[in-house]
Amino acid sequence: MFNFNFSGEFVAFFVFSVMIISGAVLMVSFTKVVHMVVSLAAVFIGVAGMFILLDAEFLAFVQVLIYAGAVSILMIFGIMMTKHQEAEAERPRTLHDTLTAIGALALFGILFYAIRQSDFPAPPQAADQTVDNTMAIGQALFTGYVVPFELVSVLLTVAFIGAIVLAKKEAD
Amino acid sequence: MGAWLDETLTWGHALLFFLWGVILLLVVLGFVTYAIFFERKVIGWMQYRIGPNRVGPWGLLQSVADITKLLIKEDTIPRKADRALFILAPALAYVPAFAVLAVIPYTQKLYFADINVGLLYYVALSGISTIAIILGGWSSNNKYALLGGMRSAAQMISYEVPLVISVVGVVMLSGSLNLRSIADQQGDWFWQWNFLPQIIGFVVFIIAAVSELNRTPFDLPEAESELVAGYHVEYSGFRFAFFMLTEYVYVYAIAALTTVLFLGGWHAPFPFLDWVPGIIWFLLKFTSIVFFLFWIRATLPRIRIDQLMGLGWKVLLPVAILNVFLTAVYMELFVK
Repeated sequence: MFNFNFSGEFVAFFVFSVMIISGAVLMVSFTKVVHMVVSLAAVFIGVAGMFILLDAEFLAFVQVLIYAGAVSILMIFGIMMTKHQEAEAERPRTLHDTLTAIGALALFGILFYAIRQSDFPAPPQAADQTVDNTMAIGQALFTGYVVPFELVSVLLTVAFIGAIVLAKKEAD
Repeated sequence: MGAWLDETLTWGHALLFFLWGVILLLVVLGFVTYAIFFERKVIGWMQYRIGPNRVGPWGLLQSVADITKLLIKEDTIPRKADRALFILAPALAYVPAFAVLAVIPYTQKLYFADINVGLLYYVALSGISTIAIILGGWSSNNKYALLGGMRSAAQMISYEVPLVISVVGVVMLSGSLNLRSIADQQGDWFWQWNFLPQIIGFVVFIIAAVSELNRTPFDLPEAESELVAGYHVEYSGFRFAFFMLTEYVYVYAIAALTTVLFLGGWHAPFPFLDWVPGIIWFLLKFTSIVFFLFWIRATLPRIRIDQLMGLGWKVLLPVAILNVFLTAVYMELFVK
């Protein structure tokens, strides 16, 4: 059941999983919004680490750049002006908490059982590891998916100009 | 070094990686110590002063004494600060600064990690330091620190965009994001290095890099004539030292990155000088960039915040995009 060889990859997987899970749990349990954003950023970085283990370096660093960098900073900027006091403690809801815990455990049990039971067939054509996948992504974007790519950039430009117009109206 | 990374992790390998990390850390700390000394001396000479000359021969131990002072100083944490984040912020600022050094190739053989998206790795990780700066400003629970943090973050975000777009031209010319192959592909003669074909990109990169480093003329985060001290007002002792260390490690990183991207890395300027080892050339170029940073600090005045934002968004960004366009046209007409 627990067959693994002790390689650097395994250690890295373990570290990143701990980072993702603890970040997610802390994100839910913290009471201050800024603390939540920091733990969310930890989750983003952990997910990026998982992408690296799956040989998707380009995706991993774009994840760090966009999510851990830009999105987190944007959120911190947004909530930085919030109150600095401690949030008031919620009163304990024992029954609710117990039921939630049972539900979560049951879901975990089902998922774990299903994952252990199913066998994963090897993909029909394993991706060639030697190919530079960054280049492959670029070629796919600018040949097969060029129309959606251009549409997305037009959409982003429209959103960008719209935001400027709205902000300008506010300033006047 | 690259081959070890693929093998099974044994205790021996783990120890080896750890030792190499420690060696790099010591090299960087040594660089920072003497960069500060060199900076003060150079600025002193440029301003008809002598600079530090009391501690040790020629003042060589001045930085060591300063660092010792910082380390043994009382560590204060304001009572109303957000304690956890206040402690976390300096470490969070320093870790990416040190981690980006992993992808810098020093010579053909001497490099730490050979990642095929090395440039992207650098850009992505250096963005995380910005979070640390805002967190440091926010968690101090001080309005001056908060204002300073917002200002630094706005500046760093604004100049990251032209910085990234200015190197797109280099990436297009060399067809790779791998810093090692980018350095490798630059020619044997110095006019074949990227800084001449990519002169617009090079100028934008240098300006944006100085701003990313928060150094004069863009040192608004710690503009002592208008702010108290920026985001680190409340920090003292070794936490403050960590923020300063981050700044100087980024000086190291940017100087090395400029060398690799634009100045041909370890290549000699003329093919007949090839007998000089590559590391010497790398160090020469690296040192001259560091000197250039100190030089402009000693000679340029500080610009205002509105001028800073205007320059970033209205001048550097369009010029950087124009450079990408011109490079694309050039490649379409002459290279294909």
